[in-house]
Amino acid sequence: MSESIPLVKEPVSLMPTLEQRNRLRRLRKFKDGLSRYGVMTAGMAVVFSLGLIFFYLFSEIAPLFRGASVEIVKTYTPEALHQAPEDKTEFLTLERYEEIGGNFKRSGAVSFFTVDDGKTLLSAQMPKPETAEFSVMATSTADHGLVAYGYSNGQVAVAKTEYELSYPNDKRQITPSLAFPLGDQPIQLDAQGSALKVLAIQQTSSGTLIGALTADNRLLLGVFSSSSNLITGAVMLEQEVFTLPPLPQGVTATHMQIDEGAQHLVVATDKSQIILYKIVNPSAAERKDAVVVPNGKITAMQFLVGTGSLVVGTSEGHVSQWFLVRDPHNEYHVTHVRDFESLNGAITGFAPEFARRGFWAGDDKGNIGIYFGTSQRTLLVESVSDKSINKIAISPINNRALLIDDSKNLSLLDVWNKHPEVSFSSLWQKVWYEGRDAPEYIWQASSGSDNFEAKMSFVPLSLGTLKAAFFAILFAVPLGVMGAIYTAYFMTPKLRGIVKPTIEIMAALPTVILGFLAGLWLAPFMENHLPAIFSILILLPVIMLVTGFAWSKCPENIRNKMPEGWEAVIVILPIIATVWACVALSPLAEVWFFDGSMRQWFTDNGVNYDQRNALVVGIIMGFAVIPSIFSIAEDAVFSVPRHLTQGSLALGATPWQTMVGVVLPTASPGIFSAVMMGFGRAVGETMIVLMATGNSPVVNFNIFEGMRTLSANIAVELPETAVGSTHFRVLFLAALVLLALTFVVNTLAEVIRQRLRQRYSNL
Amino acid sequence: MSPTALVEPFKSEPIKLEVKNLDLFYGPKRALNAVNMKIPEKKVTAFIGPSGCGKSTLLRCFNRMNDLVDACRIEGQILLEGSNIYDKSVDVAELRRQVGMVFQKPNPFPKSIYENVAYGLRLQGVKSKRVLDEVVEKSLRGAALWDEVKDRLHDNAFGLSGGQQQRLVIARAIAIEPEVILLDEPASALDPISTLKIEELINELKHQYTIVIVTHNMQQAARVSDYTAFMYMGDLIEHDLTDTLFTNPSKKQTEDYITGRYG
Repeated sequence: MSESIPLVKEPVSLMPTLEQRNRLRRLRKFKDGLSRYGVMTAGMAVVFSLGLIFFYLFSEIAPLFRGASVEIVKTYTPEALHQAPEDKTEFLTLERYEEIGGNFKRSGAVSFFTVDDGKTLLSAQMPKPETAEFSVMATSTADHGLVAYGYSNGQVAVAKTEYELSYPNDKRQITPSLAFPLGDQPIQLDAQGSALKVLAIQQTSSGTLIGALTADNRLLLGVFSSSSNLITGAVMLEQEVFTLPPLPQGVTATHMQIDEGAQHLVVATDKSQIILYKIVNPSAAERKDAVVVPNGKITAMQFLVGTGSLVVGTSEGHVSQWFLVRDPHNEYHVTHVRDFESLNGAITGFAPEFARRGFWAGDDKGNIGIYFGTSQRTLLVESVSDKSINKIAISPINNRALLIDDSKNLSLLDVWNKHPEVSFSSLWQKVWYEGRDAPEYIWQASSGSDNFEAKMSFVPLSLGTLKAAFFAILFAVPLGVMGAIYTAYFMTPKLRGIVKPTIEIMAALPTVILGFLAGLWLAPFMENHLPAIFSILILLPVIMLVTGFAWSKCPENIRNKMPEGWEAVIVILPIIATVWACVALSPLAEVWFFDGSMRQWFTDNGVNYDQRNALVVGIIMGFAVIPSIFSIAEDAVFSVPRHLTQGSLALGATPWQTMVGVVLPTASPGIFSAVMMGFGRAVGETMIVLMATGNSPVVNFNIFEGMRTLSANIAVELPETAVGSTHFRVLFLAALVLLALTFVVNTLAEVIRQRLRQRYSNL
Repeated sequence: MSPTALVEPFKSEPIKLEVKNLDLFYGPKRALNAVNMKIPEKKVTAFIGPSGCGKSTLLRCFNRMNDLVDACRIEGQILLEGSNIYDKSVDVAELRRQVGMVFQKPNPFPKSIYENVAYGLRLQGVKSKRVLDEVVEKSLRGAALWDEVKDRLHDNAFGLSGGQQQRLVIARAIAIEPEVILLDEPASALDPISTLKIEELINELKHQYTIVIVTHNMQQAARVSDYTAFMYMGDLIEHDLTDTLFTNPSKKQTEDYITGRYG
């Protein structure tokens, strides 16, 4: 009868076997490693691609600030110069393919040569009277290409270089020629036959104008126009020569220039003065006051392309720019605008660029300077020779230049001078543009004209960006933040469950639709219902407060019918009624108070009103920004710990006191970052401002005028600009400024938020 | 027999709070069952009982903190010195000033120590710096915290330890001179030394205030309270002198609980 003692059973382990666990451990290790490296790779890829974006932006922008450089490819004496070493070069030119140069000598010999080896392609001769000697030479602005020779018998010969392009055997061939637009015989400018001491020529709308100072100090102005007979083909030359009022006593001219508008003749004198002649009516020309140029005698004076500004060089190497500025009485004055870095020696001559406001200067010590007017940049000052620079020729595309020094050596230069238009001062400071009365901030980067001076100031754009964002924030912050506080703190959870997602889904509304609404519906509507807009903005809050007050005074039994927390619903009806009433009464209000049109009333009272204005943008972009502000602020208020509100309530605080005293301070980091996120979004927003602002780059904060923002400007202009041009790169710079702006705003927001959060960290 | 019929051991004491037939519902769920009790003035009354028995709920009825809970419905009366605090004419904020509360987890506001204590006074419209200074010092002394914080009154309250924070919260509560202080497990989140300090503080405070404390810790109830009420499943089972309840409970449920048979 032995009862078997029940053995204590080994407890059956339900764990997997050691081997299984090892296998699992290896698998887990593999997964861990995989995810670690996967996440790391993804993160690095994000950082890397961000870096690439920055690198790309910077690489597009960098050339803007590179300045200019020249490299002497070769120095030689071309055949044409060998023949008569004492025959000085009077004019040097280089055509747009940078293959052929033209050399005009004192003797009237003109030779075209290939710049690479100096081989003469064509020799020609300026018309020359048999008995007279060469006395003076003049050129028009570079884009017209006129060259005039004045002679000792008062005659003038005018020529023009022409290059014909042909493609024999599919190879480009440039054939130079010398044309004589005013006939191939010298024309008599001075009827008295006195020698011409100073000469100026310009192609104007009213013909070719030639100004001259004779040896006996008379100022002459000849107006020449040629017309060719349709039947015979013979060139008819009409000519008229006027005698201008004389220069002041004891003063003689050294340089002379005529503007393209045929309005002014500018004379530089041996007393370092600039004297302006008004020649609109040449028979009754007026002499204006003289302006004194400081820093030595005037040794060179030249109109830049477009003839809106003069560059003046002095014997002390000083280079300055002067405008013809119109005063309120419609009179022009020669006005000093800006100075450039001086050269060491006396300025011997200027070579203006063909389509930009740039120019080169040479001095008598072998230095050249490359300058740009608008941006007030001295791009390069370099010594290229040990002799005085005689003549400089730049090609129309600015990639090569020729220069001749006194040793008769010709140098061929490779030039890099692609982006002289941009400098800190041209982007951010007031710039005095040609034709303006005073320095201004202007953005107008392109125009139909080749001679256009690009105006690229970032101030209107940055200000426009801030203006749009400011008005949007002004509209969105009160609505967004207060709505968030109400929703998070006072609303019943059920209603909140409807309201919050509804507002958040507004963020998904494509901004192009909002912009479309703003531009095509709200802007015209607002223009026609201005009183309604203002009365709605003022009355809505008032009506809400009145409704709330009336509700609180309602008898208990009515109030109890509305479940607690749903009281917000009852203001909907008064809101709709108010909006309807405001719109309906708007035409009447306009008739009663604003003489029928509030818009006109604004204009009459000196307030500019554009249909597409900051108010429209503020409201619509405000709507675009509200969801982000609301959502973040609501989360911030809602996540204030319950025990804090309860602690406050338990101390006898009313819900309002609790909200102001505890909830808001605690939620302030979140609310602040909500506002800054909204601001950041408004700054970068493109479609709405593109469609609803009118895109006028004005510099003001008038709520009734439009603006142009950085982002909209990029969207508008980038598709139309030439890749690699200065304009193109400036748009990239605008993108970088925008990036920097949002970066600064967001960083500031984050820093402040972190600091606030640290204060409330232990919650 | 109604369980509350037995709970009348202190006829001689002046009564501060009286609960009459109090029922409380969270939605359809009944959390308190016809509770009747009297809480004597300037004594410490402890509520004990297992989790979910309704002791915290009952405590929060005394300053109407349950109003903040949606779907909470109350029937019956609570009389504070004879007047019903659930009467429609009662200003809840003023009631809560009279009946202060300290929560389980220290909840100082994200402000300085000084501003935490002054908060309740500012709510009452006190602006005078002199008055505030005086009350802040008095309250901090009253909460036995003055010596530890007097040199850093304007530092953030979060710099204090948990126990200090809890005493700060008590200082904040007594700054507005309440008549009753409700303590909802005030030491359960604290270390033993801090707990001891809180308990010493309670012993001090009962000379001036009527104190009701909810605690899970029976030793604590035995140490600090004059009266103890044992609750179970929404019923007030027994309410008696602490000594009596712990040494000679009249109900079996009470005895089972205090001897650790369930809990």
